[in-house]
Amino acid sequence: MSTASSSRPDTVRKSRHQRLTRQEGLVFVLPTLVMFFVFVLYPIFYIFQASTMEWNGITPGVFVGLRNFVQLFTQDRIFHITLRNSFYWTFLTIFPQMFLGFALAMMVNSRVRGRVIYRAIFYMPAIISPIVIGIIWQRIYNPFGGLLADIAKLTGLTFLKQAYLADPKIAIFSCILVNVWQWTGFSMLLYLAGLQGLSQDVLDAASVDGANLWQRIRYIIWPMLKHVHLTLILLGVIGTLQTFALIFMLTKGGPNHASEMMPTYIFLKAFQLQSMGYASAISVVLLILALSLSIFQVRVLGARFFLSD
Amino acid sequence: MVGGPKRTRFFNSLILQVLLLVMAFLWLIPILMMLTVSFMPPEQRAPELGGLIVTRPSLFNYELVFKENPIPRYFLNSLIITVPSVILVVALASLAAFAFSRLKFWGHDFWYYLLLLTLMLPIPTLVIPIFQLAKRFNIYNTYLGLILPYTALGIPFAIVILRSFFDRFPREIEDAARLDGCSSLGVFWRIMLPLSGPALSVVIIWQFMVSWNEFLLALVTIESNPLKPLTLVPLIYSGPYMARPGAMFATLTLITVPVVLVYLFMQRYFVSGMTGGALRE
Repeated sequence: MSTASSSRPDTVRKSRHQRLTRQEGLVFVLPTLVMFFVFVLYPIFYIFQASTMEWNGITPGVFVGLRNFVQLFTQDRIFHITLRNSFYWTFLTIFPQMFLGFALAMMVNSRVRGRVIYRAIFYMPAIISPIVIGIIWQRIYNPFGGLLADIAKLTGLTFLKQAYLADPKIAIFSCILVNVWQWTGFSMLLYLAGLQGLSQDVLDAASVDGANLWQRIRYIIWPMLKHVHLTLILLGVIGTLQTFALIFMLTKGGPNHASEMMPTYIFLKAFQLQSMGYASAISVVLLILALSLSIFQVRVLGARFFLSD
Repeated sequence: MVGGPKRTRFFNSLILQVLLLVMAFLWLIPILMMLTVSFMPPEQRAPELGGLIVTRPSLFNYELVFKENPIPRYFLNSLIITVPSVILVVALASLAAFAFSRLKFWGHDFWYYLLLLTLMLPIPTLVIPIFQLAKRFNIYNTYLGLILPYTALGIPFAIVILRSFFDRFPREIEDAARLDGCSSLGVFWRIMLPLSGPALSVVIIWQFMVSWNEFLLALVTIESNPLKPLTLVPLIYSGPYMARPGAMFATLTLITVPVVLVYLFMQRYFVSGMTGGALRE
């Protein structure tokens, strides 16, 4: 796409004036680049530099080399928990959201009555602030008078009464469930867009050949939506790595850091324990992890951020 | 639905309808609960089903909340932060997207891919430097301290959306205008922009949502209560309303209802917006 303007008819007169105006594009992108340098690129250099320091954010820091990283990888139990939780979160949100979102998209893509309303309902959680959602689900999960506990009492299904957010063994999974509820509608919308982009001829041909619904999904529809799967996985990985608000509201990373994720740990270290240097080291690890996973998906797998890109 | 005899078709659509109804009901429970608990009368201590069923609804909580907390003020704060960031993103990103789509210049591809890096960055990795920048530039605890980073972080995705729209734009009109002596800025302003309604509405809606719901940067940047946007409001009252879930949930409802109404009202644009304009035509 870099050859955008090569086909213009007036290439005969290559005057200096023209070479100058050729750089006018740079003027158009200049304000964008300034914002990018100040608020994205400079911060990236900043955390790399700060990660080599013992620094409380107020007084000047002391250079400690790679000590923060050594400590992070060899001694920090909480950091290891955040890695494990990121792993759980990635797989247990992305794939359930994809399958559920695909099923919902198939259902609301039919001519069923009320399909517009259904789409609105399934997508609604995605537009509500995660802070609001966190408070509501705290009440649903509350073992004393919460919705699930009350259902347990009413129906005798006692396993429903759990300390969902206070039991270190299940806290992270309780958070994951809320996240799936919130974002499945988004997967549904992307699949819906993908389904509407499929050519009807292929589907009709398969139908004539006697393929049943399951076969059509398995061998035609699902493979043809590959670009949607890839976009959802790409967005899902980045979404996982920046999960903050929901955890902050539901568990604050607790109990005893059992549901800590990298962003909540960065916040804890930087803004509550005043270890800005150490928190910067966590930021660097998170940054490298996110960039390498995303670049791999974009370059090797051909994933896109945006369906029609 | 699937072809076949009439009876199976009817049966299939009935199953579908029931399945969807059940799913939709399950999906709505948390949102319903937000509403029902907010109508809980103050004397009700142990509501049924965690408050999903309220036998004698009362407006008590809403009266209390309106008396105790300045919701309109917070609402205004959210608007003061969100609207300028949306305007800035649209202005800067459309100019840049036009240049990336139509003009040749030094470092064209390099700048483009560099900007795309932003989409792969988890925001929490930038929270420490952005906090320090805000302190140094004296925009800590100001609206500007959020408007500027929201703009910077929003521009790249807007460029991707707008560029993919501009790239599909027929070149003939533009060439004709250029032969008539129209400058690049003229092509952008008089021809491209007026015809970019769909892509621009996608950018506007998306950026509005992102700025409106952003939480982490707001949490570390805005310190004083009168400046706080809506996303921070539940935190202000989570202490005082600890023992009064009705008041808390009334606050949550007041925060959420306007967003949901706007969403329902603009759903058609929203759907194409969220799917990145992929629902073409």
